[in-house]
Amino acid sequence: MDVALTGADLVTCLGDADATFAALRKGVDGSEPLRFYDTGRMGVTRGYHVTDDEGDDKDEPPLRAGRWLARCVAGAVRQAGIDPARERVSVIVGTGLRELRAVERWTLDGVPVRRRDLHFDAAVRAVLPDVAEVITVSNACSASGHALALAQDMLAAGEADAVVAAGCDAMSESMLTMIGRVADAPTAVLQPFQEGRAGVLLGEGAVAVVLQPRTDGGARPLATVLGTGLSCDAHHETAPDAGGIVAAMRDAHSRAGVRPRDIGLVLAHGTGTALNDPTEAAALREVFDGTAPGPLVTGVKGAIGHTSGSAALMSLLIAVESMRTGSVPATVGLSEPIPEAAGLRLVIGEPADCDARVAQVNAFGFGGVNAVSIIRVDR
Amino acid sequence: MNNTAHTAHPTGYAAGVSVTAHALHVPGADGTTAGAASALFTSVAPEPACGPDEAHTVLGRKGLLYKEDSTRLALCAVHRAFGLPPGKLREPLPGAADTAVVVSSNFGNVRTVRDIVAEMRAGSGHDVSPLNGPNASSNVIASTLAIRYGFTGPNLMVCGGATSGLDAVRLGALLLRAGRARRVVVVGVEPDDEVARGLAALRPGGAGLRSAAACVVLEPEAEGPRLGSVRHHARPGAPAEAGAPAALRLAAPGTADISGGVDLTDHVGETYGAVGVLQLAVAAAWLSSGERSGGALITCGDDEDGYASVRLDPAGDRVPAGAC
Repeated sequence: MDVALTGADLVTCLGDADATFAALRKGVDGSEPLRFYDTGRMGVTRGYHVTDDEGDDKDEPPLRAGRWLARCVAGAVRQAGIDPARERVSVIVGTGLRELRAVERWTLDGVPVRRRDLHFDAAVRAVLPDVAEVITVSNACSASGHALALAQDMLAAGEADAVVAAGCDAMSESMLTMIGRVADAPTAVLQPFQEGRAGVLLGEGAVAVVLQPRTDGGARPLATVLGTGLSCDAHHETAPDAGGIVAAMRDAHSRAGVRPRDIGLVLAHGTGTALNDPTEAAALREVFDGTAPGPLVTGVKGAIGHTSGSAALMSLLIAVESMRTGSVPATVGLSEPIPEAAGLRLVIGEPADCDARVAQVNAFGFGGVNAVSIIRVDR
Repeated sequence: MNNTAHTAHPTGYAAGVSVTAHALHVPGADGTTAGAASALFTSVAPEPACGPDEAHTVLGRKGLLYKEDSTRLALCAVHRAFGLPPGKLREPLPGAADTAVVVSSNFGNVRTVRDIVAEMRAGSGHDVSPLNGPNASSNVIASTLAIRYGFTGPNLMVCGGATSGLDAVRLGALLLRAGRARRVVVVGVEPDDEVARGLAALRPGGAGLRSAAACVVLEPEAEGPRLGSVRHHARPGAPAEAGAPAALRLAAPGTADISGGVDLTDHVGETYGAVGVLQLAVAAAWLSSGERSGGALITCGDDEDGYASVRLDPAGDRVPAGAC
């Protein structure tokens, strides 16, 4: 069942939705030196921080992910004009790191936390007390893509009148440490699909979309969500597998009722790691084989970092904006693509004109959890 | 849009979801004490369950290095639910390609998260084993189950507090209704390491934590007790339901005196994100252990996160209208 995307909001290191879209058009790299950690010991020095409303840049407020989530959920619901007191509204939050940062600070620094603050029920209910349920799905770097899939399934099954699919993540010291652990030297810049790329850097932020059954004659939605394909590689804990990724893409096309040649734009996962980018490029070449010239392909992590659980829905909103404005932002950090990407129409240097109506959004996570979404924007 | 590609995913949603297998793996809960919870639990879980350090007696020795307690217990529960002999499988389980995994746990990796940061701060990131890396991601339990048994269907990790177990059951049923899998392995698990226990104690009136795992297997239109719809509610008592009253009621922890029924935590202890799945596995075992003239109604949750309930009715019984 196609569903209408009727409200949306996001916050990234580049600011709110409008500021983020404007900076993406200019090709801004939003990374900066990390603010809160002992970077010398971690082996990670840079990232893409969201600037908090309170305190100075060295002062880390508690429960940052939940604060941004609340702001975005409230903004998306306001735009959609739905009322959780009158309609059955469910909320599904996709997150990679939950509020594990609060666990780190509680157990090692003595900063107080409540048990209930590890998940996002309290954060959402602070702004939307009447929602029917808040479900926290911790599905690594494709979490909000999984939230979107489940949201559409809930609407199709008649289990809700509207569903808010969301994503949020703040950096954790443990994940930064593991990223530093597997890098030869601190990564200076995140460069998706770039020859000689050095690895990934973490981003932060939150994103929310409101989904409702599509009705004829209502206000034109921001976009139509046609379908999301899900798969699990069942292959390796951290390394991606082209077979699992291709399966998720084909599942997405099947559910959405589209053929590869219908798709004019791909928002790639594009993490800038040694393994993701060639694997993803190979999967895209396989799936879009025979559709020459094929879709435009771009990625946003060079601009806003790897926002983990938020990444899928952030890419989705940037795909919506690209199709609405007819202009696709360039892949920040990319100048010389890897050989595996030969034949892909990567957007490099300047924004590209785009008349696509249907876009594909890729998100792949640790554990081989894949979510690929197909959306349409009518102009 | 053209709809020709929809044939693989029929738009008609499977109405009935059954629990076709179940297992409990609660180390140290095999002793009997006085009380209804103890009598019920030991009647359906007579086999002793090994602790995480002995998981190799169920799973074989291979592949357990750097696996957390929560992952080990979850693997044991799934192994038992499928009735597998001890040791590692040589090939994926039959039907694994269309099998989804949904795991509920809140504290599964909290000790690892602390240890990684503590080791880094005491020296540098190079002191942390890269083998511990996957455990920094909370979905490691669900993805490890997929890798071990070859489950390539959707793979979900639910970390939703006190209702997390029934949220996982709810999402598992949704995956079946959406035609995303032919079978869903649902697991609820919590460890009881010192970091997890410390977090559990933060709740006002918090009463310890017990390591536990449980597994239920969900399939559409299959033999086995029939699952109703999971419903959320603000108070411990489940909303009024149509149809016959439940013959067995399993109450949310600490609410048996308010809502009636059996509180399994009286015997098992607090198991937080595992509770809902544990209750469902007990109810499924109870229903399949004899002729039952009524279904089970189970409720999990607390005053902070709210409550969730679901009915499980005997195979062959029509699920009451309004309950699904």
